[in-house]
Amino acid sequence: MNSAILTQSLSKTFGQTLAVDRLGLAVPEGAIYALVGANGAGKTTVIKLLMNIFRPTAGSAQVLGIDSRSLAGKAFNRIGYVSENQDMPEWMTVGALLDYYRAFYPTWDRALEQQLVRQFDLPLQRKLKNLSRGMKMKAAFASSLAYRPPLIVLDEPFSGLDPLVRDELIEGLIERAPETTIFLSSHDLAEIESFSSHIGYLEQGRLLFSEEMSVLSDRFREVTVTLSVPAPLPASLPPTWLQAQTVDCVVRFVHSAHNDSTAAEIAQFFPSARDISLDPMPLRSIFLAVAKAGRLRAPSQHNQPAVKGTAA
Amino acid sequence: MSQILHIFYKDARRFWGEIFLSVAITAAFAWFYPNTWIGPDHIHGAMGSHSVASYNLQIMGGFLLALVPVSWWLLIVRVVHAETLVGDRQFWLTRPYEWPKLLAAKLLFLLAFLYLPIFIAQCALLAEAGFKPFSFIPGLLFNLLLLTIVLVLPILAVATVTSNFARMTLTLLGVFVGIIALGAVVQRLMPNHFTAIAGASYTTQGAFTLAFCVCAAVVVLQYALRRVWLARALLYGIPALLILASPFAERIQSHHPRIDVNYPVAANPPVQLAFHPLSPSYQTYETWPDTGEVLIHTPLQGTGVAAGTVLVPDAVKLEVEAPNGVHWVSDWQGTAMPKFFAGSQDGDAVVSIPRDRYEQLKSMPLTMHLSVAFSEARETRVTRMPLPSEDFSVSGFGVCSPLAGFLSPFTQATGLLCRSALRDPPLTYIGVVWSDAPCDAPHPEPDQGVQGAAWVGSLDRAPADLDISSVQQVHFTLSNSIYERSNVPRHLCPGSPVTFTEYERVSRTQTSVTIHDFHLPGVKVSDGQTHVFTTTTTTTEAPKQK
Repeated sequence: MNSAILTQSLSKTFGQTLAVDRLGLAVPEGAIYALVGANGAGKTTVIKLLMNIFRPTAGSAQVLGIDSRSLAGKAFNRIGYVSENQDMPEWMTVGALLDYYRAFYPTWDRALEQQLVRQFDLPLQRKLKNLSRGMKMKAAFASSLAYRPPLIVLDEPFSGLDPLVRDELIEGLIERAPETTIFLSSHDLAEIESFSSHIGYLEQGRLLFSEEMSVLSDRFREVTVTLSVPAPLPASLPPTWLQAQTVDCVVRFVHSAHNDSTAAEIAQFFPSARDISLDPMPLRSIFLAVAKAGRLRAPSQHNQPAVKGTAA
Repeated sequence: MSQILHIFYKDARRFWGEIFLSVAITAAFAWFYPNTWIGPDHIHGAMGSHSVASYNLQIMGGFLLALVPVSWWLLIVRVVHAETLVGDRQFWLTRPYEWPKLLAAKLLFLLAFLYLPIFIAQCALLAEAGFKPFSFIPGLLFNLLLLTIVLVLPILAVATVTSNFARMTLTLLGVFVGIIALGAVVQRLMPNHFTAIAGASYTTQGAFTLAFCVCAAVVVLQYALRRVWLARALLYGIPALLILASPFAERIQSHHPRIDVNYPVAANPPVQLAFHPLSPSYQTYETWPDTGEVLIHTPLQGTGVAAGTVLVPDAVKLEVEAPNGVHWVSDWQGTAMPKFFAGSQDGDAVVSIPRDRYEQLKSMPLTMHLSVAFSEARETRVTRMPLPSEDFSVSGFGVCSPLAGFLSPFTQATGLLCRSALRDPPLTYIGVVWSDAPCDAPHPEPDQGVQGAAWVGSLDRAPADLDISSVQQVHFTLSNSIYERSNVPRHLCPGSPVTFTEYERVSRTQTSVTIHDFHLPGVKVSDGQTHVFTTTTTTTEAPKQK
């Protein structure tokens, strides 16, 4: 499968700060790829590198087959970009904004525009500066979807929006999904989980994993081991076991490399195990487990992979 | 093209207020500015209500002249910042904007709402002043080019490296302070504070060319690549280096053989120069202690200039030989020597010499070789006429009016006020005949009155001078304008003869005079900060015509 986005050792520094560290990322065409990470992980920087807003310090990125450093002008006919912190021509009315953008895009679909206006209930006569944050995002979405771009890039699109608006935007996005690739950054994990096909986890500029959502869900398990008698944790646990802790006869941890032999592996560490339960985890729990594990790692260990993944 | 027009229409809708303001200021400027041409005759008689209103109109004209570039600044900054090139959040960065088209749209905006209005205003001013605007189209376009280099392009360049109006304003203030600071540094480094080195205009032209190239490069660089820090470094760094390097550039310039190449030694000198030791100025000497330099005034007498020819001294150079073998040669230095024409004229050649060198040479009899570089000009057109009582046009020169003075009745002209189109007039000798008595009183025939004269204009003229107004006042004072006995102005009566003699450069040449047994006069330290060149500036004798 071709990649809509492909990066190789993509790096960006601001002064002494390394914002993106040798990022290798492949977003298959047709995917809904969510790039997640804590605040300051480098998600927005990655997106701005992809959109040629920033220039990479090292490495390269291809977006729809074009080197990101050459991305300009007509190349943006095929990319829809919405960011939570993008300035907009606030003096324009919504109608004027759509009129203005329409002339730039040969593929602008007037019918789709009207459909989006109705769907998002956009007030055409009101100026953007007088709109709520949610309405502005809707206007941004409408102006970025109406020309049916093959790639939609969204930077924290749902941040700070009320649930109703989020649902409306996600609904609008999902309707476009069959004909496009969507790449978005977010830490709004609940919404991501509901429609993303792929996910990448960024921590301090490094991509810790990047894989299909179904594979990720299969890989992570919340493990509860019930022992016959209380026992301390073994001195050395596999690195794929995260946040291990014990209370009386119960040991809990997150297994980040679950497979068919997981139960047998656990039994080897806990011979007195009376019961072993392996529960699927929601994305939010996976995210939190990985994030906490990352913070607990010592700086000296930081360059070693803590979580088994399939980063490209 | 459609994208260019699309962005242009968007900007025009967005900035209609700024456009209206700028066009209104330009229109008001074209309306009010002609009031500044009236001169002091608006205060004839008592300071009545009419004269106060007239004075206010003059002030308004001058104020609007200053306001026009301010309105341009507003217009340029607003339109560039509509798609600001600084930052990473602009809406247009991820839209299919093509940078050449975006830049073209901005330039089209300036063409429509800055250049076109000022072009029309300049045409209106020319028409109001009595010129035919369509005869001056190349000059008008050249003037717009100069305004672009000096005003529009620098503002445009700074706008491309700033993100909003406030930052732009602060940046300009910073640049202003920086220029003052650098200027102060340069003053310290200048080899000579008050003697313009001949040929420095080449350096100035080079600096202007470089400044234009830097600003243009910054604009294109920003639109093409948005390399903000590189553009800022270019924009602020190169002019700063340029200012700091200017003293050295002038020093290099002064050693350049350009003057010797451009002003060859004449086989038959167009003027015979002779040392004039009886001139009172031989005993004058000036110095400016801060500079460590002394000015040597050498009075010269020039004779033998052909009729219909005028020699304009452009630069002087001094070579000194002392009996003890000391040999010193100055740079070519700018000069304010008076012009030489047919007849006999006196003038001081003033040369700056380092104080320590002066001390070394002052007690010895010296042999001085004084070289003077001249522009030789011949008369090309003579216009004679009886003085009209109203505005009159002088072909190739401009439009003039009889000028009433402060204390004179309205009908009594005490001078001439002239206007030229777009630039200085050509070098012109103006001759008039004064009347000691008021024009309405019995007085001698005009041709028996006192001669008055003035030199105006220049030999080096570009198609236009840098000015927002297309009409320039020609400033000159006619000699002998005051009647010595009663200390009141003389009069120019209607019908008295007026002559305009226009000159054009035909060659450049240099000639020299050798003075033996020359003793440097003693140095007198001037008593204040002021320094006065004692050169003859009034001309009472008319050049002999062919």
